[in-house]
Amino acid sequence: MRVPVLILRTDGTNCDVETAYAFELAGAEPHLVHVNQLRRREVRLTDYRLLVIPGGFTYGDDIAAGKILAVELTSFLREEIGEFLAKGGLVLGICNGFQVLVRTGLLPFGRLGEVQAVLMPNAKGRFECRWVRLRVEKSPSLFTRGMEGQVVEWQAAHGEGCFYTNAEQLKTIEEQGLVAFRYVDAEGRPTQEYPDNPNGSLNAIAGLSDPTGRILGVMPHPERFVLPTQHPNWRRKKIPPAGFFIFQNAVRAAGG
Amino acid sequence: MQEVRVTILPHLRDPSGEGVLHEIRQSLGITSVEKVRTVKVYRFEGIGEEEARFLAERLLCEPVFQHYTLNRPIITDASRIVEVAYRPGVMNPEAASLMKAARDLGVKGLLAADSSVEYAFYGALRSEELELIIKRLLVNETIQHVLETPPRTLLLGSEPGRTQVIPIRQMSDEELLALSADRLFLNLEEMRLIQQYFREKGRDPTDAEVELLAQTWSEHCAHKTFKAKIIVNGQEKLPFLTRLRQATERVGREDLVLSAFVDNAGVMAFYEGWAICGKVETHNAPSAIEPYGGAATGSGGVFRDVMGTGQGAKVIASTDMFCFAPPDTPPEEVPPGCLHPQYLLRRVVAGVRDYGNRMGVPTNNGSVHFHPDFRAKPTVIVGAYGLLPAARAAKGRPLPGDAILVVGGRTGRDGIHGATFSSAAMTDRTLHVHSQAVQIGHPIEEKRMADALLAARDEGLIRAITDCGAGGFASAVGEMGAETGARLYLDRVPLKYSGLAPWEILLSESQERMVVAVDPAKVERFIELCRFYNVEATVIGEFTSDRRFQVFYGEERVVDIEMDFLHRGLPQRVLSCQWTPPERKEESPPPVELGEDLLCRILGHLNVCSKEPIVRMYDHGVQGTNALPPYGGIRGDAPNDAVLLTPLLGKPYAVVISHGLNPVLNRLDPYWGALWAATEAVANAVAVGADPRELCLIDNFIWPVPEGEFLAWLDRAVDACVDFSLKMGLPFISGKDSLSSTYRSGELVIHIPPVVCISAFGRLPDVGRTVSSDFKGEGNLLVLVGARREEEMGGSVYYELRGIESANLPRVDLELLPSVMNKVHRAIAGGVVLSAHDISEGGLFTAVAEMAFGGGLGAEIVVPEGSRPDFFLFNETAGCFVLELKPGASPEELFAGVPFLVLGRTLGRPVIKARWGDKLLFSVNLDVLRAAYQAPLKEVFG
Repeated sequence: MRVPVLILRTDGTNCDVETAYAFELAGAEPHLVHVNQLRRREVRLTDYRLLVIPGGFTYGDDIAAGKILAVELTSFLREEIGEFLAKGGLVLGICNGFQVLVRTGLLPFGRLGEVQAVLMPNAKGRFECRWVRLRVEKSPSLFTRGMEGQVVEWQAAHGEGCFYTNAEQLKTIEEQGLVAFRYVDAEGRPTQEYPDNPNGSLNAIAGLSDPTGRILGVMPHPERFVLPTQHPNWRRKKIPPAGFFIFQNAVRAAGG
Repeated sequence: MQEVRVTILPHLRDPSGEGVLHEIRQSLGITSVEKVRTVKVYRFEGIGEEEARFLAERLLCEPVFQHYTLNRPIITDASRIVEVAYRPGVMNPEAASLMKAARDLGVKGLLAADSSVEYAFYGALRSEELELIIKRLLVNETIQHVLETPPRTLLLGSEPGRTQVIPIRQMSDEELLALSADRLFLNLEEMRLIQQYFREKGRDPTDAEVELLAQTWSEHCAHKTFKAKIIVNGQEKLPFLTRLRQATERVGREDLVLSAFVDNAGVMAFYEGWAICGKVETHNAPSAIEPYGGAATGSGGVFRDVMGTGQGAKVIASTDMFCFAPPDTPPEEVPPGCLHPQYLLRRVVAGVRDYGNRMGVPTNNGSVHFHPDFRAKPTVIVGAYGLLPAARAAKGRPLPGDAILVVGGRTGRDGIHGATFSSAAMTDRTLHVHSQAVQIGHPIEEKRMADALLAARDEGLIRAITDCGAGGFASAVGEMGAETGARLYLDRVPLKYSGLAPWEILLSESQERMVVAVDPAKVERFIELCRFYNVEATVIGEFTSDRRFQVFYGEERVVDIEMDFLHRGLPQRVLSCQWTPPERKEESPPPVELGEDLLCRILGHLNVCSKEPIVRMYDHGVQGTNALPPYGGIRGDAPNDAVLLTPLLGKPYAVVISHGLNPVLNRLDPYWGALWAATEAVANAVAVGADPRELCLIDNFIWPVPEGEFLAWLDRAVDACVDFSLKMGLPFISGKDSLSSTYRSGELVIHIPPVVCISAFGRLPDVGRTVSSDFKGEGNLLVLVGARREEEMGGSVYYELRGIESANLPRVDLELLPSVMNKVHRAIAGGVVLSAHDISEGGLFTAVAEMAFGGGLGAEIVVPEGSRPDFFLFNETAGCFVLELKPGASPEELFAGVPFLVLGRTLGRPVIKARWGDKLLFSVNLDVLRAAYQAPLKEVFG
C-alpha cells in the first residue's frame, strides 16, 4: 500500500504541488489537504503517518514568516498534533514549513507552544533565490539516514531564513546534535560567509531535527531537486537529484 | 485604541534598519546618521489592555529576539523617530491577518487592526536631512504618510454617495468639452454622440452612464488608435490591429494557435491535451507614481489575465521588462512630479518580486534597459504565462440566465479619479481618506482565488471568466455581456468600506477581483468551493438576452444602455501622418585601441552589465519546473537567453519564453528597431534550443501620444512586426498598446523613447535537446552564425561610449533569417552544440565573455583580416549566434547555405584574447572582466 501523506495547504501555500510530486515519485500517496478541512474535522491528521508543511507565504508571512499558520495550528489542532506525534507520526517542514514548525515550538525540541528559536529576516534584508551547498549532519533525523557527511546542492529561496536563538538554547541544540543541515563553502566547511551562507544563520544552521528524529525542518528546497533537469547545470555534468533522499527516507520511515 | 510596539533586541542586528542606513549613505550621501533601528507598531480598536498584552505575547513578539511595549514608546535613546503608515483608505494587507490571528487566538471584540513602522535615527542628523530621508526613501506620499499623532479610530466609512443626473441634452459644445475635460477624456465628436443618444432616448444620462461610456470608449479599452484608419503620406492603410491579425491569419498555423487576440491571453497547443497561454501588459503610469504598488498590481493584473483565459489557466511563469533612466541621474535632471530612477528601479523590482514570489509564480525571464529619456516615466512591462487543458482553452461565452459573480477581493475606491468622500456621517479620519488610492496589491488574496478557480474549472463550474481590472465591472461585465445583455445589482457588491456612490462601485479598479459567469444550477457549489478556500464569491447579477446593459442600486436604475451603442457606437477614427525616412549618415569614426579599459566599459555599460542582483530576488525555482535558469554556469553568474520550463513534472515537454526590445534603436528608425526586437525574441528562444516554427509572438507597443511623426513611427513599427511574422511564419496571438508616453509640465515636453517589446513563447518536445550559454570545455571550436553588416554600428553601446551618433543601425536580413534560425536549431537539436548565445547589446565580445563567465574558461577569437576589429567585436545585429561545437562537428556541413564564420576556440585558461592577423589585439583576464560586468547593479542593490 502506498503511504498516505498529508500535504498541508492554506492561503499562500505555493510549493504544495511539487512537494506532492516528490512524494509521488518516492512511492507515496500525497493528499493536498486544506487547513480548513482539518479545522472542520473533515480530515483527521491521525489518519496519516506523515504531515508535510510545504513552502510558500502562508497568510502573506504577515507579522513574521509562518506565524499566522503556527498560531492557527497551535490554537485548533494542539490535541490532534499531540496525538499524531504520540502515535509516531512524522513531520516535514520545508522553507515556510520550517518557519511554521519553529514558530509552533515543534522544532527544535518538539514542545508545542514553546517558541525557542526563530528564523529572522536574512542578514541581507531581502528575499534571495540561489543554489547552496548543504552538509548533511549527524543528527537523530530519520529523514537524513544514510546521507550523513554528504554535501548536497539544493535551491534556497526565502527572505526570512536566518536561524537565531540564544546561547543557552544553541548549546543544547548542538549538544543534542539536532542540526540536520549546515550551509558549507566549496571546501565543505560550515560558513558564515555570504553567499554560501545565504542568510547569516547562526552556526550555519540550515535545518533542524527534533530529538526523536521524527520532525525535520529545512530552509532550502529538497523538492526542487528530484529530477535531473531541475539542477541549473545539469548540462555540464550528470548530478543525481540530491533532494530525493528526503522523500525516500520519509516514506520508508512512515512504513512505506 | 491599544498600541503594541515590537522591535529586535538592542544587541542584535536589525537588517531592515541596516538596509535603510545603506540607502541613506549610498543614494542620499548623508553621513550624519550612525544607526537606524525599526519598530513595528500595531494598533487595535475594540479591545482592552489585557487582550493587547495577550496578543503581544502570543502573536506579535518573539522574546528570543524581540521585546515589546504596550501603549508607550519602545526606543527612547534615538535622535529622531518617524512613524510611517499607510494613508487611511489604502488597504494594509496585514490588517486582515491580524484580525484572523486574533480570532484564532479567541480574542473577542476586536473591531479593527492596523500596523505601521517606526524608524529610529541615531546620530547628529539635521532636520533638512531627515526631510530628505523621509521624502526620498521612507514615504511615498501617494499611499503613505508620516503619522504625527496616533489616529483616534481605524474604522472607515460614510453614507453612500448618490447618483446624479447629467443634463447633457442641453449642453453647448463648450460645456460638453468642459464635462469631458474634467472626468471623461473623450473628444467633442464622441461627446456629441453621447448627447445625441440621450436626446433620442428623451432623457438625460446618469453619472454612471456617462462614466460607463467614457470608460468603454477610452483609448485604454477601445484601442481607438490601433483600430483607426491610417493615412501615411496621403496613402490609406489598414488599421494596425487589422494588419497584425491578418498576418496571423495568413501565417495560418491552425495546428499551433488555439486562440488569438479574442481572449485575455493568446493560447497555443502544448502536448498530451494541454495548452499554454501568454499575455504581456504594461503598467507604466501607476508604476511612475507608486512603483512598488504599480509594479505589483501590474503583475497581479497580468496573472489574472492568464487566470481568466479559456475557463481558467494556472499561472506558470512571470516575466518583467523595464526601462528606466540611469540610476545615477542627478536629482535636478528628474522632471517635476517624477520620482528618481534609482528609487523607481528598486521599488519596481520589489513590487514584481513580492507579487510573483508570494503567488508562487516563478519569475525567470526579463530585462532592464536604461536611457536618460525615461526620466519622466519608466516603462514597466509584465508578462504571464499559463497552462490549461486544451479542451478548456476556448474563450467562454455566457448564456442568458447565467449568474454574474464577483470573486476575490472587495471593492473600494481604488483607481477612481476625482472621487471624494462626501457625506455627513464620517469619522474624523475619513476626511483624510485619499480618494485616488493606488493599491499595494494583495498577492495572497489572488493566490487563494487562483486555487479556488482552478478547482472550480476542473469541476466544470465556470462558463466564462474575466479579470476585473481597468474599468472595473463596467468593462468586465460590459464586455462579457456584449452579445447577450446583463443586469447588475451594485448594492450586492461586497465593499471594503461604506460610502461609495453607485458609479464608483461600477468603475472601481480594486485589484484581486474576477468576474465569472456560472450556470444558475451550479452557483451554490461554486460559492461553496470558493468559501472552502477562504475566498468571497457573490452573485451580483445575471446575463440576459435583451442586449441591454442595465445596472441597479437597490430600487434605482442607474444605467440602461444598449450594448450595441456601448460597443459599436464609436465611429472609426481616421489618423493621418507624414513619414520622411531618416538620413543614414555614413560615417566611420577612426578605430581606437581595444584595451582592457574599453572592454570593461562595454561590459559595465548599464545596458550590458549583469542583472543578477535583480534576478536573485525573484523565486525562479518555485513549482519545480525550471530546466534552464536565468543565470547559470559554474558560479551561477552567466545569463541564459531564454527560460525553459517543464510544467508537467516528470514529462520532457518544455515551454520556452523569451523576449526582445531595444528602445535606443527605435529612436533611430522604428522599423529596424521593431524588427531587431522581434528577431532578438526569436533568436533568444532558438539559442536555447527552441524550434523557430513552434513559437507564438506577443506584441507590446509603448509609444508617445501618437500624433504627427510618432504615428508614422508607430506605423513603421507595426509594418516591421507584420513583415517579420510573414517571413518567419510565426503568428502574433496577443498584444497590447499603451500610447501615452509623453510628459508635459508647463513648457517642458519629454517624449519617452518608443518601445516595441516582442515576447516569444513556444513548445519543445524534449528538454534534453536544449543548451545553456556557458562554455563546456577547453579547445572547442567557436562559430559565429548569422548575417550582419559589421559597419551598421548605429545605436550600439560601443558608439554610445565613444559619443558617436549614427543612424546606420543594424538592419536584420529577413530573407536569410529563417534559414539561419533553422540551421542553428537543427545543430542544437542534433546534439553537436555544447553552448550557444545570441548576440545583442555589447556585441559578439559580450556574448563570448558571458559564455566564458559561465564555464570558467577562456576564449581566443580571430578577427578576419578584412574586418575592422571594433566593428567585428561590438556590432549588435540581432539574429546572430555564437556556438561552441562538439569536437568533430563540422561547421561547413552544419551551416552550409547560411553565413557563418569560425571564430576561434575555447581556452582552458580564464582569459579572453583576440587576434587580428599577426596582431594580438588584447588578452584580458576573466576576473577583471567579470568584476566590471557585475559592478553597476551591485552598487545599486548592495
